[in-house]
Amino acid sequence: MNLAEKLKSGKFLITAEIGPGKGTDIDEYLEEMEILRGKVDAINVTDLQSSVMRLGSLVVCHLLAERNLEPVFQITCRDRNRLALQSDLLSAYVLGIRNVLVLTGDHTVLGDHPEAKPVFDLDSVSLLKVASTLAEGKDMKGNDLKGKPEFCLGAVVSPGADPLEPQLIKMEKKIEAGAKFFQTQAVYDKESFEKFIKKAEKFGVPIMVGIVLLKSAGMARFMNANVAGVSVPDKFIKIMAEASKEDRPRRSIEIAASLIKEMKGMCQGVHIMSLGWDKYVPSVLEAAELI
Amino acid sequence: MVEASLIDYTKFKLKSTQEIRGIFKETKKIFVFWCRKCYKKFEEDTEEEYNELLEILGEDAEKIVGQAGVDFLCNDFLSQKKILDLDLSPCDSVGVISCGLGAQFVAQLLEGKTVYALADSIPQSGNASSEVGYHGISLEKEKCAGCAECYLNLTGGICPVVDCAKGLLNGPCGGAKEGKCEVNPDVDCAWEKIYQRSKKQKGKFTLESVQIRDYSKPSLKLKEDLSVQNQALRKQSFYGGLYPLERKKETESKRIVSFPEPETVAIFLTQHAGKRADPLVKSGDKVRVGQKIGEAGAFISAPVHSSVSGKVISLEERVHPASQEKNLAIIIENNGENQIDSSIQPLGNFKELTAEALLKIMREKGLVGLGGAMFPTYVKLSPPKPIDTLIINGCECEPYLNSDNRVMIEYPQEIFTGIRIVEKILGINKIFVGVEENKPEAIKNLTDLANKPSNVEIISLKTKYPQGAEKMLIKRILGREVPEKGLPLDVGVVVLNVSTVFAIYEAVIKGVPLTQRIITVCGEGLNRPGNYLIKIGTSFKDIVDYCFVGGEREFLKENQLRMGGPVMGISQLSLDTNVIKGTTGLTVLRKYPLGVSPERDCIKCGRCVEVCPMELYPLYYAFYGKRGEWAKAVEYKVEDCIECGCCEYICSSKISLLSFIKKEKQYASNSNKA
Amino acid sequence: MLVTQIKPEKEILERISGKNVFVFVCPGCREVYFPQEKVEEFIQSLPADRVRRVNLDYLCNREFVKEYVQGYSREIERADAVLVFSCGVGTQVVSSLLENDIVYAGCDTLYLDGFQGLTVQNFNCDQCGECYLNHTGGICPVTHCAKGLINGPCGGAKDGKCEVNPDADCAWILIYKRLKKLGKLHLLKEILPARDYHKIITESLARKKL
Repeated sequence: MNLAEKLKSGKFLITAEIGPGKGTDIDEYLEEMEILRGKVDAINVTDLQSSVMRLGSLVVCHLLAERNLEPVFQITCRDRNRLALQSDLLSAYVLGIRNVLVLTGDHTVLGDHPEAKPVFDLDSVSLLKVASTLAEGKDMKGNDLKGKPEFCLGAVVSPGADPLEPQLIKMEKKIEAGAKFFQTQAVYDKESFEKFIKKAEKFGVPIMVGIVLLKSAGMARFMNANVAGVSVPDKFIKIMAEASKEDRPRRSIEIAASLIKEMKGMCQGVHIMSLGWDKYVPSVLEAAELI
Repeated sequence: MVEASLIDYTKFKLKSTQEIRGIFKETKKIFVFWCRKCYKKFEEDTEEEYNELLEILGEDAEKIVGQAGVDFLCNDFLSQKKILDLDLSPCDSVGVISCGLGAQFVAQLLEGKTVYALADSIPQSGNASSEVGYHGISLEKEKCAGCAECYLNLTGGICPVVDCAKGLLNGPCGGAKEGKCEVNPDVDCAWEKIYQRSKKQKGKFTLESVQIRDYSKPSLKLKEDLSVQNQALRKQSFYGGLYPLERKKETESKRIVSFPEPETVAIFLTQHAGKRADPLVKSGDKVRVGQKIGEAGAFISAPVHSSVSGKVISLEERVHPASQEKNLAIIIENNGENQIDSSIQPLGNFKELTAEALLKIMREKGLVGLGGAMFPTYVKLSPPKPIDTLIINGCECEPYLNSDNRVMIEYPQEIFTGIRIVEKILGINKIFVGVEENKPEAIKNLTDLANKPSNVEIISLKTKYPQGAEKMLIKRILGREVPEKGLPLDVGVVVLNVSTVFAIYEAVIKGVPLTQRIITVCGEGLNRPGNYLIKIGTSFKDIVDYCFVGGEREFLKENQLRMGGPVMGISQLSLDTNVIKGTTGLTVLRKYPLGVSPERDCIKCGRCVEVCPMELYPLYYAFYGKRGEWAKAVEYKVEDCIECGCCEYICSSKISLLSFIKKEKQYASNSNKA
Repeated sequence: MLVTQIKPEKEILERISGKNVFVFVCPGCREVYFPQEKVEEFIQSLPADRVRRVNLDYLCNREFVKEYVQGYSREIERADAVLVFSCGVGTQVVSSLLENDIVYAGCDTLYLDGFQGLTVQNFNCDQCGECYLNHTGGICPVTHCAKGLINGPCGGAKDGKCEVNPDADCAWILIYKRLKKLGKLHLLKEILPARDYHKIITESLARKKL
C-alpha cells in the first residue's frame, strides 16, 4: 500500500523527515534512510528548510523513490513563481513522486541568504489548488496537459498558534483546495493538542501530530524563543538539561515516545522531525509502541 | 509655464461596475468618503469619481445617506477630525473612494463599522516588474524604487531597477527589438538607454563588478525608526510647522552693541497696526531725541517720536519696509548731539501709578508690539474681555534672529519689572514666559534670577517653527484653542513679545519712548553680523554698508534682503527704506538663479496642508487666488491664516502663497467692513 | 515618501577623488529625513578649491533644475563631475539634463510608507490594481503581510508578531481580529485567486499623460 491507500485504510500513519544538506554528497543520508525502511509509511524531504540553501527536495525525493522508500515532496512558495512551481510538480511526478506537502515557507531573511528576493507568487492555498488542477489535467490557466500528475496532497497546520481560529479557517480552505492530510507543527503538550483536535476533527481529514526530537535544553529554549507556535514545557527542558551528553538521545527518545503515547489516540498519525537524529527514530517508534 | 511632459499620478479609479453593484447589494445605508486626490495638476476643484459612482448605481444610489469630499484623505490628523465630527450611526457601512492609504486609514479609524473600498489603485510600475517606482515631489517621469543601494553611478543616471522590466543590473537581456523592451514595444529598453547615455559621457559604460541586489535592504528597523521619528516631529507641540535650520550660532553670543549714529533718519508715520499718525512737525523744525513728532490718528493707532536730535528736512513719501508701498515719513538730519527732549522723565516708583495712568504712558510713549505685528500695546492691554493669564513670548522661532534672545540674556531684571507693570495693568497673577529650547542661556538667566517673582513660570519649549505664533503658544502652554477668527483675549489670554516688555520697562521706569530697538543683522556674506541697538529710522543702506562685505554697491543684484527672518521676513526691493518699530532684524540671503514665476502649477503634493499650524488648506488659496475668486478663499477660512509662511516655504512649486493670502485677507476685511 | 542616506564615504570618494566637482544638494525632504549634517561634513572634507556647491530643494522638479543648470553652466562645464545628494528621482532628473556629464549619486534612497506631504503614514499602498481591502476588513495583505499572502496566515507568527520583523504585527492576525469584530469572519473562508501581475503592466501602460 502506498501512502494514499494507507490514508484511506485508516491505518495509524507514521512519517519521518530528512533535510538535505548543503552540497552534493548524498551517501550519508541515503544510508540513514535505510534504517527507516519498513518502519515508516513515508519520508518527507524538506524544501530548503529554514531558508537555508541546500540540495533540493525534488532530487532527494527521486532518489528515495528509486529505492522504494516512499517520499513526500515538500514544496514551498518562497523561491519559485507559479510557472516553476507547476513545472516542478510535473517533474516530481515524472520522477516517481506521488505525495506532495504544500507549505508557504519561511521568509528569506531568516535563512543564510537574507539578501535574496523572496518570491511568494502563490501561497499554500493557491498552490494546493494549482496542484489539484494539474491533477485534473489542466494547468492553472486552463490549458490541457498531456499527461497529468496525480498526487496525494498534504498541508500543514499549527495547533499551537494563538489565536487558533485563523489557522482553522485556513485549514478548511486548504481542504477545499485539495489537501487530503495534515502534518502539524511540533506539539509538546497534550492539552493544547486536544483543544485543537476538538475543533479540527469535524473537517474529517487525517491529522498527523508533529513531534520534534529534542537534542538539548539549548535547542528547546531556542525553539521557545524563535519558532512560532512551538512551546516546550519546562519539565522537558529540565530533563534535557540534567542529562549528560551521552544520555541526551535516550531522554529525547523517552520524551518523544511519551508524547506520542499520550496523543496517538487523538489523531490519525505521527510525523517525526528528527533534525539529523534519524538513527534514533526506530527507537522512538518502539518506545511509543507503534512498531 | 506649462510643461507638456507632466504626468498625472492619480492613484486610484473606481472599481468595476460589477464589483460596485455587488458591494451595494450588501448595504442599506452607506456614507461615502471620496478623496480629492494628490499629485496631479490642480486644475479643477472637484473630482468626477463620486458622480461616476452615482451613475453606476442608478436606483441603489438612494442607499447613500451622505457623502464628503476630503482633501488628502490619508492625512490622518486632519481627516480624523472631519470624519469623527460626523454622526455615522445611522449607516451600516462606509464606502471610500481613494487609494489604499485612505481606505485603510478609514477602516482603522472606524473599527467596528464595515468599510468598503470602492476604488482600485492604479498600478505604478509601468514595465512589468512589480517593483514599484515612486515619483518625487513633482510630476516628472523619473521614479525611484527606494532600493537603498543606488545603482545610478553604474548606469550614467538611468535607474535599471525601475526602468528595466526585469530589473537587470548587469546589462541587457537579449529581448529588445529596435531598442524597445520585449515586454512593451512602446517602452525603451533601459539598458539601451544606458548604453546611449554612456556614449555621450565618453564611453564611461563599464560593467564594473557583478551586481547582485540585496533585498534585505533597507532594513525594516531603519524604516520603522525613521517613520516613528518623523511622525513624532511632525506632531510635536502642535500640528504642522517646520524645522528650518536655525542658523542662530553666528549671532547668538554677540552682545548687543550700539549701531553707529546715522546721518539722517526717516521716521515713518505708520509704524503700527491701525490709522497713520498725524505729523506734528514740518520742514525746518528743530527736534530732540524722544520728542513726539506724530500724534496717534485714532484709538487703534500710536504716536511716533524722533530718535535723534537735529532738523526736520522734509516730509516725504517713501517705500515702507513692511507694506512695500509708499508711505509718509519725516526725514530728520541728525546733529549728532543726542539732545534729550524734556518729556523724558524717569519715574521713581511705578507702583504708585494706577492701571489707567500706566496705560496712558503706553500710549504716550508710542509702544507697539515689537515681535513684528506692531499692535499698539495700550490697546492690547485694554482688553474688552476678562483676562486670566499673561504669556510672554520669548520664542523668536525665526531662523537667524537673536534680538529677543539677547534681550533676555542681558536684561532679565528689566524684563521682570516690565512684567510687574503689565501685571498691574491687567490685574492678573498668572504669567508664563515661553522660550524655545535653543536659547539655553536666556532660559538660565531668567530662571536663575535671584528675585524672580514666584508667579512667573519660565517654560522651555521644543524648538519648532512657528512655536512663537500666539495661537501656537496658547495651545502649547495652556492647552486652549483660540476660536476661529478669534483673538487670544477670547480665551482669556494676552500675549506680549519679550522685547515689548522691555520697552514697557524703558517707557515707564526711564520715561523713554520707542525710539530705538535691538535688531539682529545676519545672514550670508556679512562681515559684521550682530545684535545692534539701532535708532528707529536708520536707513537700510547704512546697515548694509556697515555690515555687508562690499557694502551696498550691487548688493541687490546678488542678494535678497529680508526685514525679519528668512521665513516670514518681508523682501526688500530697495535699500532706500528705514528701520521701523517692527524691525526685528535684517537677514541677507544670497540670490540663486531661480526665477520665480507665479504662474507655476500646483501639483497637489499636499505639503502645504501638512505644515499649516492652523490646519488650513493653503493649496486652495493659490488655486482661487490665481482665478481672482477671493470669496472662495474666505470659504476656506483664509481669515484664520496667521501668515507664518510655512506653506510658502515648503511649496514644491514655489508658488508665492503669501501674496495670494494677503490679497484674500484684504478682500475679506473689506467685505466685513462693507 | 522617499528618504535618503548618504552613501559610504569611501564609495563616493573613489569616484570623485582628484576631480573638480559641482555638487547639488537637495535638502527639500529634510522635513521628512535628509542626512543634512553628514552631507555637510562630507562636503567640508573635500578640498575647497575643487568643489562648487549649490542647494536646490525639489531637485525632482525639472523646471527648477533647468534654471540652475543654465544659471551655473560655466561652473558645471569647468567641473569634471557632478555629484548629487538627493533621492534617486532628483539624481535622475539632473542626469537627464546633463547627459554629457558624469553625474554621481551621493545617496542611497529608501521608501517610507505614504504618498503625499511630509508625514509618513502608518499604511502603504502597493498600487496593485486589484484592491483586497474588502476581503480583509480594510487591512492590506499585500503591503502589511511580509510575504504578501492573500489567503490567510503562514504559521510563522509568534505572539502575534511577524516572523520577519518581530516588531511588526502579523497582518493576518490583525485581519482576523478586525473581521471578527465586524462579524465577517466568513470572508476569510473564500479562496482568493492568485495575484494578477499582468494587470500591473497593462493598467499602468494605460496611464494617461498630459
